[in-house]
Amino acid sequence: MSGRIRTIEDLNRVGESGLATLYPDRLKIMIGSASCGIAAGARDVEAAARETVGNLGLEAAVTRAACIGFCRREPLVDLIPPGGPRVSYGNMTAKKMRELIESYASSRDMKPDSAFCRFTGETHVASGSSHCYAQPANGLLKVPEFSAVDFYHRQERIILRNCGSIDPLQIAEAIARGAYRGAFRAITAMTPEEIVREMTDSGLRGRGGAGFPTGQKWEFARKATSDVKYFICNADEGDPGAFMDRSILEGDPHAVLEGMLIGARAVGAREGFIYVRSEYPLAVTTMERAIADAEAMGLLGDNIFGSDFSFRVRIRKGAGAFVCGEETALIASIEGRAGEPRTRPPYPASQGLWGKPTVINNVKTLASASAILCRGAAWYAGRGAEGNRGTTVFSLVGAVKNTGLAEVPLGITLREMVYDIGGGMAGKRPLKAVQTGGPSGGCIPASMLDMPIDYQKLAEAGSMMGSGGMIVLDASTCMVDLARFFLTFTSDESCGKCAPCREGTKQMLRILTRICEGAGRPEDLPTLERLARVIKSSSLCGLGGTAPNPVLTAMRYFRDEFEAHVNLKKCPAGVCRNLVKFRIDEKTCIGCGQCVEACPVGAVSGEKKKPHAITQATCTKCGACRSVCPVDAVTAE
Amino acid sequence: MTDNRNTTVEAAEPELCGSVMVVGAGIAGIQAALDLSAAGFHVYVVEEGPSVGGGMARLDKTFPTGDCATCIISPKLVSFARDHNIELMTLSNLSRLEGQAGNFTAEVTQRPRGVDIEKCTGCGECWTQCPVRNVPEATPSFRPGADISAEDRAWLEESLARHSDDPAPLIQMLHETNERCGYLPRPILEALSVRLETPLAEVCRVASFYNAFGMEPVGRHVVEVCLGTACFVRGSGILLERLEKETGAPAGGTDKGGRFTLRTVRCIGCCALAPAMRIDGVTFGKVKLDKVAGILETFE
Repeated sequence: MSGRIRTIEDLNRVGESGLATLYPDRLKIMIGSASCGIAAGARDVEAAARETVGNLGLEAAVTRAACIGFCRREPLVDLIPPGGPRVSYGNMTAKKMRELIESYASSRDMKPDSAFCRFTGETHVASGSSHCYAQPANGLLKVPEFSAVDFYHRQERIILRNCGSIDPLQIAEAIARGAYRGAFRAITAMTPEEIVREMTDSGLRGRGGAGFPTGQKWEFARKATSDVKYFICNADEGDPGAFMDRSILEGDPHAVLEGMLIGARAVGAREGFIYVRSEYPLAVTTMERAIADAEAMGLLGDNIFGSDFSFRVRIRKGAGAFVCGEETALIASIEGRAGEPRTRPPYPASQGLWGKPTVINNVKTLASASAILCRGAAWYAGRGAEGNRGTTVFSLVGAVKNTGLAEVPLGITLREMVYDIGGGMAGKRPLKAVQTGGPSGGCIPASMLDMPIDYQKLAEAGSMMGSGGMIVLDASTCMVDLARFFLTFTSDESCGKCAPCREGTKQMLRILTRICEGAGRPEDLPTLERLARVIKSSSLCGLGGTAPNPVLTAMRYFRDEFEAHVNLKKCPAGVCRNLVKFRIDEKTCIGCGQCVEACPVGAVSGEKKKPHAITQATCTKCGACRSVCPVDAVTAE
Repeated sequence: MTDNRNTTVEAAEPELCGSVMVVGAGIAGIQAALDLSAAGFHVYVVEEGPSVGGGMARLDKTFPTGDCATCIISPKLVSFARDHNIELMTLSNLSRLEGQAGNFTAEVTQRPRGVDIEKCTGCGECWTQCPVRNVPEATPSFRPGADISAEDRAWLEESLARHSDDPAPLIQMLHETNERCGYLPRPILEALSVRLETPLAEVCRVASFYNAFGMEPVGRHVVEVCLGTACFVRGSGILLERLEKETGAPAGGTDKGGRFTLRTVRCIGCCALAPAMRIDGVTFGKVKLDKVAGILETFE
């Protein structure tokens, strides 16, 4: 590996070496090894691949990539034969891996039947160039092209441009696909004013959830006069159900570092922090390695690209406090204190970390910023809709077929998300609602599926963009129970500093618990609404200010369900234990016996191949039988 | 000083005895005694120290509300002293307890006071005249960090040296302690407080604020159940119940044999694999209830 990078020629030279490992002249076996891939068994697959390659004496490179976002198909493996197309295989196992390599070694057969997509070319988004693979051989022609797969064909991958296509630990591969060219342009050819103007022109808004214009934020910090300024990357992705920040840190850490470099140059910061959740150990180690590599090449440190600009980055691990995603709480945590927010103003852009002007940007914002500086504001602003420029990443999970990370232009409708990208519902049950924005957001009912997703529309519907979690709910979810789940979360995570949030969420939770347990009173619903109004208007920070959203949207769109709980003492979805009775439908039951095994108290009985029955006296209503039943024969009433 | 006396509080009848003993006369003990008395019980209060009030009587403000401590405790002290249903035993220890719920026999050892309480007006003259003044009760000396082992001490110094250029190393040090021990042992917290010149109260406040840190020792294996939204809607609640049953550890606690510690985490970012759990850092996705026992068996 070469030494420090000062000129564009140096960058190109490192890029060349990266291209050699990206597209080697021998077989390349690329294993998707992000946290989710590893959880699905990627390490076993990798071991099998290495062993088989060794046993056969095959000329091949086994490398690790992160995640291309198609979680449903994990673990994913890509095969790139010399000159051939890149072919992706999903749901890989050690056995299938061995067979695939053996079949390739013996007859160059790539087993097209088990592949799920192929790439005839790859665009290097940041540099604008592209790489063409050779034409696929006959058998592979029937494998669908990457862009034709339902999960991918609506996607436009800017933030996730390199995720799953490079080895995140190889800085040269990132540079080969255009990394650090935006930073080079910003540092050597632009004034801070010009960088900020470029960001403003691009129309990029903060992807952390609130949607504050990034250019404007940088401008405030740039104008603030101070000897020391700080630049922070907020990777404290606390929203349950959102994991794109983790995926970016694990898959393309240099896109984030480059974004920080550009932002720091624009505002005049010399020191930066990445505040990342400690629950993401792989993201932390990947980022540590990326920082070390960038320092070794002179992309971080003193006199970057031979200029007078110096910038250093440190990693700060969070410690499992949701409220630390709020910027003032995050600052308190970096300062080594308990992560409690404070009142704003003063905003961090004027008084932030240790009282100095500080910019805090989300991971996705920074990964977008580096692409914008590479390709220009006009290129970026050509995507998305008026006031909502560009793309963002959603984690599509829940009761949907294709779960995973999808990057789409803003303004796409929920229906397109669920039915085009998501491929429709996973089970037979119909779609009930889509939850967006995590514990700060709300539930959008099925009747509003044609609503375009942007900051304003979501806010009007009572939800919010949040960090991009999108959880598809089917009829088996009880909205009251879900509202209670979120309130349990926020009341636990409330830091306790301000009374409306600390006491208010507790009281709302008490009422919701009462309703779920069948002891709801008619006056509970108006009380909930009144409490919610007070908490929203008087809480200190965003956690309290948005905590009632899940309850309010649920009550707005699913009022009948709340009323059924309170007045009829019934849970229509069959979730709330005190309000349901489980029964096995004799006609549907196939007598497979899975429920008998699953029942923790032995309340299910019946002979094999004959309808089973539940003894009500012993049933604890845990729902285990219902969740294992393959034919949905267990009903709740 | 030979007038140590043993008092035996006898329960009148078998079944329910109508009197209650509260051990400790801090703010909690006082409140418990007042409530029990109001509910019609005769209350014996046993206090080890010479006076009631405990820690709260020494405070200025209370956490987290910042209320005046004296304003809270004073009215309670007055009601406590006036309540005829409450019998106070100071300088006393509970030395033996027999019986069962509803009917106990307790033996209380009372140490001598040397002052006749019936006659004492609390003027404080004896105290000011006393040649060894201000030591009516010797307080145990507090030497923070003194209990730390030499091995831990060496490790601590080495870690602190690594963070020497860090302006705020406390949370990172807590992380490292947690990784080393699985929890935050008190001696290390005390030593950290001394070395970082941060009050122990502040160290403990930071340590207790964050979910990632625990003050109790953990079992040989740590099971973390994801309670993120995606896992929740796919049944992580039932999974947690099953795990409590299989491990014998309550959520947030450790089983008796010290094999498993069961924790809940907010989201481990493996939403597509819901419901997910993690054991000693290894993630298990799409966990089926009937597979739980089998997975746990592999962790001895």
